[in-house]
Amino acid sequence: MNRLSSIFRFLFRRGRFEGELAAELREHYERQAEQNMARGMSRTEAVRQAAILVGGAEQLKDDCRDARLGRWIETLLQDVRYGLRVLARNPGFSLAAILTLALGIGANTAIFSLVYGVLLRPLPYLHGEQLVVLHQDASKANVLDFPFSVKELSDYSSRNHTLQGVAEHHTMNFLLIGKDTAERVETAVVSANFFDVLGVKPLLGRTFVAADEAPGGPAVLILSYQYWQTHQSGDPHIVGKVFQMNNRPHSVIGVLPPIPQYPVESDVYMPTSQCPMRSSAKFIANRNGRMMNAFGRLKPGVNLAQARADLAVIGANMAKAYPGIYLAADGYRIRADGLRDDLTERARTMFLVLLGVVGFVLLAACANVANLFLARLLKLERELAVRSALGAGKARLMRQLLTESVLLAVGGGLAGVALAPLALRVLTGFAGRFTTRAAEVRMDAPVLLFTFLVSVGTGIVFGLAPVLTTRGWLGTAFQQAAARGTASRGRSRLRSALVVAQVAFSVILLAAAGLMIRSFVKMQQVQPGFVPDRLVTMRISPGMPPYTLKTARLLVDRVLDRIKTVPGVESAAMATTFPFNPAGLASGPSHVQYIVDGRPRGSGEPTVTSDIRVLTAGYFETIRQPIVKGRSFSQQDCEATSPGVVIINQTLARNQFSGEDPIGKRVSFDGGKHWAEIVGIAGDVREYGVNQPAAGEIYGALQGDGFINRLVVRTGGHAETEARMIRAAIHELDPLVATDQVQTVEHAEYESLAPPRMMTFLMGIFAGLALLISASGIAAVMALSVSQRTREIGVRMALGAPQGSVVGMVLRQGIVLTLAGIVAGTFCAAMLTKLLASMLYGTSPTDLATFAAIPVVFLLVAAIACFVPARQATSIDPLTALRQE
Amino acid sequence: MAKSKADLLQGTLDLLILKTLELEPMHGWGVTQRIQQVSESVLQVNQGSLYPALHRLEERGWIRAFWGSSENNRQARFYELTARGRKQLVAEKESWLRLSGAVARIVGT
Repeated sequence: MNRLSSIFRFLFRRGRFEGELAAELREHYERQAEQNMARGMSRTEAVRQAAILVGGAEQLKDDCRDARLGRWIETLLQDVRYGLRVLARNPGFSLAAILTLALGIGANTAIFSLVYGVLLRPLPYLHGEQLVVLHQDASKANVLDFPFSVKELSDYSSRNHTLQGVAEHHTMNFLLIGKDTAERVETAVVSANFFDVLGVKPLLGRTFVAADEAPGGPAVLILSYQYWQTHQSGDPHIVGKVFQMNNRPHSVIGVLPPIPQYPVESDVYMPTSQCPMRSSAKFIANRNGRMMNAFGRLKPGVNLAQARADLAVIGANMAKAYPGIYLAADGYRIRADGLRDDLTERARTMFLVLLGVVGFVLLAACANVANLFLARLLKLERELAVRSALGAGKARLMRQLLTESVLLAVGGGLAGVALAPLALRVLTGFAGRFTTRAAEVRMDAPVLLFTFLVSVGTGIVFGLAPVLTTRGWLGTAFQQAAARGTASRGRSRLRSALVVAQVAFSVILLAAAGLMIRSFVKMQQVQPGFVPDRLVTMRISPGMPPYTLKTARLLVDRVLDRIKTVPGVESAAMATTFPFNPAGLASGPSHVQYIVDGRPRGSGEPTVTSDIRVLTAGYFETIRQPIVKGRSFSQQDCEATSPGVVIINQTLARNQFSGEDPIGKRVSFDGGKHWAEIVGIAGDVREYGVNQPAAGEIYGALQGDGFINRLVVRTGGHAETEARMIRAAIHELDPLVATDQVQTVEHAEYESLAPPRMMTFLMGIFAGLALLISASGIAAVMALSVSQRTREIGVRMALGAPQGSVVGMVLRQGIVLTLAGIVAGTFCAAMLTKLLASMLYGTSPTDLATFAAIPVVFLLVAAIACFVPARQATSIDPLTALRQE
Repeated sequence: MAKSKADLLQGTLDLLILKTLELEPMHGWGVTQRIQQVSESVLQVNQGSLYPALHRLEERGWIRAFWGSSENNRQARFYELTARGRKQLVAEKESWLRLSGAVARIVGT
């Protein structure tokens, strides 16, 4: 407090301070003189001696001022004021610097918002760091993650000593029945302790309690904030309202707060006792009936490693107790990961790569501005010399220059913060494809703090580099003030080094972007194994009840028969899913166990699994997936009384039946109770995205009772109109059968490539930005060099040098610098692009074509950048040039 | 100037000023005179260091300045120790005694 008031007095009561200081020193001086006189000196001599002893009054006063804290602030303000004046006097320079920095800092701000929001921000739950996700895997059977069964959950929940609770979660689609419409709601089925484990308190009403989960308990629902707002118009009296669902009245007991939902966004939540499948006695008893995700919360003071060890013991005991289920050969394992890491795993590499990329953009911008700054320093030399002659210390002048560079950087930072939100909207959409945390991306205090620190740091880096690396400039400043035009060798070397650095940074980015583009082009050239154009798919959902497995099976035939009469429809089939289904892209292939007849598994051999799809006859014909051997499914195969048949794809045939003919072999999914004969081999289809190699697939014919909900239709060309007519036709069959997720397979394919497309786009943009920055850097340095060599060029031209040789001279200098940068950049890029390997498809991180193309592109750009200053050089009038100075 | 000039160790001037002000408030001139007198002219404080030091100590809140009339009825800027200054003096004295004791032991042997 005292200190503050002292600073205040120094800054704002300055007259008084100065008066007192002068009076104090005069008093001392007079006393000294009096003392001298008392010792017998004459008055003149006494005063003279006192003056000698006391020393220079002004210097002493300044030393006293320096002892004050306020002085420091005063000088800073002076520097800032002076800096602003100087920058305003050179609007071109300031604008160029601020713009360059704004691009660099803006890009960094946007990407950092993304990285912070997704990877770093604490989860928006109470003690989010305690939350863990459990996973089971059987790595030796190539199953990296499989869901939990009720039995497994109850084992882990009751036997562990490290978790406060284990919560379960799975999703279902149910029909919410309104007056005369049926609406699909994404429903999360959770254990009663789910919200307690996550630490979520309801906005309205309450969350689940144990009684809600008891068998035969009341049917209750909790709405998500989003659903409550969009579908129930935020009705404040929603608690207690009753909806029809699964043919039962369900009453709303609560609404969640507006938080991001994990692991997925859902419309409504219900307890496990209300899910018809989850609550059936048969499912509960089946240790192999797996569909749930499991979460836990660490007890206070317990770390992840302890929990992992604890769970591993339970898992090992389980495997011992049920050797027939957890085969030793499968390598069964239980894993626990922090929830935050688990949710953001898929985004991490990409985001960190982007952060690195924008870091290089900023470095290039820094080098560019440092060069501009250095160029301006040259013009300032005379002024600096004068100021230093007038007594300004070296430290003071350096501080002045540093203040200017930091001012520029902060200006650039402010402009960058203004630019960043433009990019952020696109980026959040991008992030949303990998993680539900995308909703948490925003520019808030931590992000702004980051930007501020980056700005100031940038200012110091580019301001200090020119000043420090040209030591002794004060001495030379005098000489140069006299003899202008002979730039110090050290500084022109530094300028060249900065250009080389800029080019190198840009080359690294161009290499990365080039690889991404090449990889993306390769992805687009992949043949998916079927013909996606004009294929329309939609999801069909009959309510069960009123439909039963038997009547739903009949519905499949009725729907297909009805649709085939829609004008334009070429063929139609139903299946459990379709190629490039977004849900499938996210989850990957399933792992269903099966055995092959006559091939007993030796002990020690892992379980064999495959992705399976169930289809109606006509599916292969509809999507035009070729049958390469054997036959396709017939209508006959889909009769309940027919013998079971399956078709496998080429990958499965190759992996499991190498050297033998699979056709005629039999497989079973229930340990040998029922067998199905392999009747054909279908061509491989890139079911999980064109950049994913085909997995082993078994296609089964829909037999007996049951329902499969994906309609796949080959339309005549007007996909949209026909889709509308198809929906109308189904509605006509039964208005309570909901149809949704209507899309063309082409669109799904396009969407499946959205992540690499976006990544390629972003890297391309950033690389282009860096290229632009370094091109302008080359041009600026060349222009400066031309203006410095005006006299030399003038002499050369006066002596008859042709214009071409002058242009060549300037070009040569620029090209040499660029070449040096290209060599350095290519070398660094070759080491760094390894980090991209996981994102590249069919492209080596050191792809020769890409690395060969970049120097060409760059040299071209550099030549153009040099050409402008070169032309300027030829327009120098020898007479004017020689008269200068 | 001084017959046997003893260079002041870094920070020692602060201690001398604080100690001198411990007895009574004093103006700058008084401080130089007192130090010279007590040290029997071994220590002569240069005005060029005294006044910046006084301002620095004031800025740190160890001494406080006020205007008063001096013995010959002239207005002068007086300095006095604050509570924090007294605490600082105790600490500095202690460390000085430790240091000078150590130096004396080494030099004495």
